[in-house]
Amino acid sequence: MSLINNLEKYSKTLLLSTEEKNDLNSFFSSGFPNISDEEWKYTSLNKIVKNDFVVEDLPVFDEDNIIDKVSLGFKNKIVFLNGKLVSSPKIDGITISDFKSFKSKTNNSILSLNSSMARNGFSIDVENNTVLNSPIEILFLISSTRNTFLQYRNQINLGKNSNLKIIENIHSIHENLAFINHFTQVKCDENSIFEYNKTQNNKDNFSLIDTCNIYQEANTTSSVNTLIFGGSFIRNNLNFEQNGENAESNMNGVSVLNGSQFADNHTFVDHKKSNCRSNEVYKGIYLDKSKGVFNGKIMVRPESQKIDAFQSNNNLLLSDESTIDTKPQLEIYADDVKCSHGCTIGQLDKEALFYMKSRGLAEKEAKALLTYAFTNEAIDKISVPEFKDKCEKLIAEKLNVKLDFNH
Amino acid sequence: MLNIKNLKAQIEEIKILNGINLSVNAGEVHAIMGPNGSGKSTLASVIAGKEDYEVTDGEIEFESEDLLDLAVEERSNKGIFLSFQYPVEIPGISVSNFMKTCINERRKQQGLDPMPATDLLKLMREKMELLNINSGYLSRNMNEGFSGGEKKRNEIFQLAMLNPKLSILDETDSGLDIDALKIVANGVNKLRTENNATIVITHYQRLLDYIVPDFVHVLYNGKIVKSGGKELAYELEEKGYDWITKK
Repeated sequence: MSLINNLEKYSKTLLLSTEEKNDLNSFFSSGFPNISDEEWKYTSLNKIVKNDFVVEDLPVFDEDNIIDKVSLGFKNKIVFLNGKLVSSPKIDGITISDFKSFKSKTNNSILSLNSSMARNGFSIDVENNTVLNSPIEILFLISSTRNTFLQYRNQINLGKNSNLKIIENIHSIHENLAFINHFTQVKCDENSIFEYNKTQNNKDNFSLIDTCNIYQEANTTSSVNTLIFGGSFIRNNLNFEQNGENAESNMNGVSVLNGSQFADNHTFVDHKKSNCRSNEVYKGIYLDKSKGVFNGKIMVRPESQKIDAFQSNNNLLLSDESTIDTKPQLEIYADDVKCSHGCTIGQLDKEALFYMKSRGLAEKEAKALLTYAFTNEAIDKISVPEFKDKCEKLIAEKLNVKLDFNH
Repeated sequence: MLNIKNLKAQIEEIKILNGINLSVNAGEVHAIMGPNGSGKSTLASVIAGKEDYEVTDGEIEFESEDLLDLAVEERSNKGIFLSFQYPVEIPGISVSNFMKTCINERRKQQGLDPMPATDLLKLMREKMELLNINSGYLSRNMNEGFSGGEKKRNEIFQLAMLNPKLSILDETDSGLDIDALKIVANGVNKLRTENNATIVITHYQRLLDYIVPDFVHVLYNGKIVKSGGKELAYELEEKGYDWITKK
């Protein structure tokens, strides 16, 4: 059986509302996106969805110290084991609860699938004026002896003048296929500050579609840092909608891929109000036969003046067989706008390598240090030191060197 | 310390060095002068081990060991340091982070533990003082946005940190005003001992007022055509290179 059949069978076991039924029908009528869809031109799901999956139905597992092993050690932790919420912290001014059904503003087949049948996820409500200095760490751990398809549907609501930082890690432990359809909706009320740090570091049996929709009111700053170190297939859809003036959206991404890993970052910033900003820095490093896709769309609506939008996507192809497809997509309908974008594809600078080797660094270390330097513009934006350290360690690990990149 | 015999080198079939002979002993300062395109920078790069150049004949011995078989980093770790004519900008890596990595990678090869962070910082501050460098410098990215003078000072700072046996200063005076030149020269002089040696590559005699050479060599068409004491530099300044090359 293929995943579509598995999903059909699973849907019959659920009690669906009218809306959910509609979403489900819309998913089944269009199916999974394929490469004839412009948004999925370079990104094929075929190899994944042809497999036979168990949908959702997995027991909570008890793995020795697994949480301690994966966690960065923050006090405030939300933990999911095979889809089930097993622990969540109590924090003043913040309500954290298990999955709550909600309607999403936009829809596509992946989101229809999610809205119709997802029954797992979290809901975080931050009260007005609540400022949390330490981040909340969210772990989604998966362990199964069968191929597993899981969906999460999460929502985060930030009250006025609130401040929240999240560190998220979706991590599969065992050797079977795991395919996750992850969706998070974030609403940022006026004057709030939000930082979302994601690590996607998995083995080659792991596939992920992660959609994150962020809605920003006036005077909000919202930043998403996406650090990809592995997985056979990753597709990130990161969408910002600015619904108030003086909103700022920041996106930073680093992908370091090897083997035949694949990662696709699709971003979209919708500047719907005047005097707003967006900053986007994505760095890709591709080894072996790995493949990357970047598509950065910026929309400036006719009524949105004084927009300052910056986008860059820089890629290093460190092998002959790695590839990157990159596409800036700017739609600007207002005239008083500052918008800049640039993308580069290249190799490590030979002069710089000679310079570093002439100071005693061996070839491998010099290359790794230069590669790290290349990512640093994005890494530097992370405000949580523990997360930054972890990412620097993962880069060193991925480049197979024992270097401490810390400053 | 350094023995170069009949060294010939080329890049993409273009012959640049046509039989260089040079001996440098510990405690000595050698100046290599010559007109543009005479092969001065190529000689520096070949000693440092730059792969772009193909050595077609001759040998380079460093402390009685064949240098030509060693990789760039091995030469560096044996004690050869090249101060670049055009230091490379490396955005994304700070001076202190770069220095820390270089020092600790070298220690690793010597079987030593990494240098404790406080010792390293102390050492860096000491060398910065020697070169009148202010403290904000350590957190700046390597050579990124540095002025010509700052770049050259950064080269000598690295030289001071790595403490080589043989320093090759490739056009260290270019791009320096007279005050910066004095600071850099003063730094180089303070690092001189009877156990290390320096090769100064320059167009002009000016730098040699501050770093006084024991020997001056004139390079022309990839060969050393004249050698002498420091007075040779003055003679060149007065008469120009034509005086030698037209002979």
